Amino acid sequence: MKKSIFGLLVILSMIAVACGGGSLEGEEVFITGALVGNDAAGFQENFDSFTEETGIIVSFQGSDNFEQEIQIQMESGDTPDIALFPQPGGVVDAAQRGYLISLEDLGVDMDEYRASFSSYIVGLGEVDGAHYGGAHAFNLKSIVWYQPAEFEARGYSVPATWDEMIALADQIVAEGMNPFCFGMESEGASGWLATDWMEDIMLRTGEGTVTYDKWVSHEIPFNDPVVKNAATLLSQIMHTDGYVVGGTDAIVSTYFGNAQDPMFVKDANGNPGCFMHRQASFITSFWPDEVQSQAGVETTVFPFPAMDDGLPKAALGAGDMFAVYSDSDAVKEVVNYMLSPTFFEAAAQRPDNSRIYGHVDFDSSLYSKDITRTLADAITGALAENAFRFDASDLMPPEVGGGSFWKEMMNLAVNGPGYIDEALDNIEKSWP
Amino acid sequence: MKKYSQQEKLLNFGISFLALGAFPLVWFLSQAILFRELTDLISRNMLVVIGLLVGSSFVFLLFSGMERIIKLAPIERRDSLEAKMFAGPSLFMIFLFLFYPAIRTIYLSFKDRYGTSFVGFENYLWSFNDTEMLVTIRNQIIWLVFVVFFTLFFGLIVGWLTDRLNKGEAFFKSIVFMPMAISAVGASAIFKFIYEYRPPPLTQIGILNGIRVSTGEQCYNNRVIDGVVKGYDDASCNRAVGWLQQRDLSNFQIGQSLESASWLDNILVNLPLNTVLLLVIMIWAYTGFAAVVFSAGIKAIPADIMEAGQIDGASELKIFVSIVIPYIKSTIIVVGTYMVITVLKAFDIVYVTTRGDLETNLLAVKMLDEFSKYRNIGRSSTVAVLIFICVIPIIIGNTYREKENSSL
Repeated sequence: MKKSIFGLLVILSMIAVACGGGSLEGEEVFITGALVGNDAAGFQENFDSFTEETGIIVSFQGSDNFEQEIQIQMESGDTPDIALFPQPGGVVDAAQRGYLISLEDLGVDMDEYRASFSSYIVGLGEVDGAHYGGAHAFNLKSIVWYQPAEFEARGYSVPATWDEMIALADQIVAEGMNPFCFGMESEGASGWLATDWMEDIMLRTGEGTVTYDKWVSHEIPFNDPVVKNAATLLSQIMHTDGYVVGGTDAIVSTYFGNAQDPMFVKDANGNPGCFMHRQASFITSFWPDEVQSQAGVETTVFPFPAMDDGLPKAALGAGDMFAVYSDSDAVKEVVNYMLSPTFFEAAAQRPDNSRIYGHVDFDSSLYSKDITRTLADAITGALAENAFRFDASDLMPPEVGGGSFWKEMMNLAVNGPGYIDEALDNIEKSWP
Repeated sequence: MKKYSQQEKLLNFGISFLALGAFPLVWFLSQAILFRELTDLISRNMLVVIGLLVGSSFVFLLFSGMERIIKLAPIERRDSLEAKMFAGPSLFMIFLFLFYPAIRTIYLSFKDRYGTSFVGFENYLWSFNDTEMLVTIRNQIIWLVFVVFFTLFFGLIVGWLTDRLNKGEAFFKSIVFMPMAISAVGASAIFKFIYEYRPPPLTQIGILNGIRVSTGEQCYNNRVIDGVVKGYDDASCNRAVGWLQQRDLSNFQIGQSLESASWLDNILVNLPLNTVLLLVIMIWAYTGFAAVVFSAGIKAIPADIMEAGQIDGASELKIFVSIVIPYIKSTIIVVGTYMVITVLKAFDIVYVTTRGDLETNLLAVKMLDEFSKYRNIGRSSTVAVLIFICVIPIIIGNTYREKENSSL
């Protein structure tokens, strides 16, 4: 008798599962994130074909204030199904506090995920052996923007090494112009551009990615000689007379989105305000409209110069990572779709898209702009060689990566090269 | 006073319990459950319509229900019960939305970054040792002193001068008052443009830098003269300055000439220019408010006192200092109190302009930063408690003053 009841229960539950799991038609999945405007519209478009196919309704709500809102939502228990964090640090923090469901628990095929995005990316969302972060779109940071026409007219060649870049800069200064554009004001995040410079230099000095990883995980202190060397080289760019157009004032006061504008303006002698601007791939959307359409043609990029021949060509990047808050079949479907090679197709084809999808099997011919394709190939190439590294300041604890590191870079810019030791000591002290 | 029998007491208690406890609770819960169930059943638009209908009648039905129960009580008890009925809900709301969060914030300020384990006074020690916190506290003090003083000062002057006008008083007062109509965020955006910096050779669109770079023989802010764009790259021209990034005056000639001189010069050279430029926004925004309130106070001064002063040969200044100011002293204190509390809460100006970069932070912004940027609930609560502690003496002082006034 008991057995038959048990058996009946099993059958009943199987029927229930079969009925419940058969169709996800009309299920709703709610995603929030920091994407707004065109990026948000592109993200939502990605789900159009998915909704048609599965019937799962995915709605995305982007907010400028996402990072605060998600904190409040987690505290109050009113979380979305999936949240798209602008940095992996947010995912790791939420996972440590126990708010997230790991991808393993959700039933994502981790081997496939690793194969399609690289184990480095998968490892970014790891907490205590479980993985919480889903990879999404990236941007490439190891690039320097320049105008080939201006270089050709003056007989400059694209620098392949750091020393060549410095030599070129000296030549430009000697000819009465300014080589670099540099502006890092960013409303509460001021200083991140300098941290990007530091990271790019760190990836190319010492033991390259090995030192970089140790630096991120605090296995070497922040005032280690390798880090100091990187800061000294950065200070050389910031503080050498005539290198940066506008000098220190420009560095700390120019909004990063406007920093490249001097390059697009000619003075009375027909010279642009600056020739080189090291900035991530997303900067194109901040350019004046008429320049934006010429991205990749009139204004294009060369890779951040190599510093040590013995090291592989490293690429620095950053990007979003999504985290899962609720466990349901519909959410699982959405997550699997977001990690599939077809996910980013709709957004990639938008003319305003400058974001790069990290999946190795993604068809890069779909990108609307040639420049995006070039950068995407650079990212996937670096990922394959395990030479792609994520923005260090996004991976460090928030007190450092979003606090003292940024702040001390601003102080360094203002105070000059004599401040390097104090800046690094202060950051080291603030590490929790 | 009438003595109640045991039975009457019991009846009274029963009625108060029903009217002020059980009924509102059941009524509130039934509504809450109703809406929770409805959310899944009907469409959003329908829900809004029902919400408007039921929600607007909620309070009405609550009070009429309570009154009906109170009517059961003996007539001499009704008055006190009705008083309780009206005070009760607001007391409950104050407790729920004011006292409970305040107490919980104080409790959290003794906990760690996740709010899980106790850390004692560690957060408070941090707030008085951390360099960034010390700068924030310094800025808050500078804001308090400058903003409160200058708002009162300019407010008094404007209030007094407009009162002396023969005509056009309303016009001038409304011009000075106008910034009050702009939100602090809007005002900050306006001033952000005034202080705007662009790297050369771009045209300076901020008025301060625009003036700076176009003073000089060969200096033009990219003006087109005879078809040629004239820039400001001549060596004789002033450089543009990132105003909100200047932590001291060392970038200016005046700062350089003052360097390493007496202690007074030292203070001047270390004047946090960016903080001062930010607090100017608040002075600009609140002067009009102070002026209008003072002007109303000045209007209330009896004309015969002023005339007596004039007959005695007192100068305008003497009248102002010896008659006007003592007469509107209490108004000045009220406006001052209001300004102190407003400055302690000041948030939007810094949030919109610099977000606290380069030593411009204020406590309210720091509180939010600790919560959302550094994800440290304990420290964030500590900063909130510090602001709260600063406000307490003012509230107490104000209450005592009110008592003194009413006892006169």
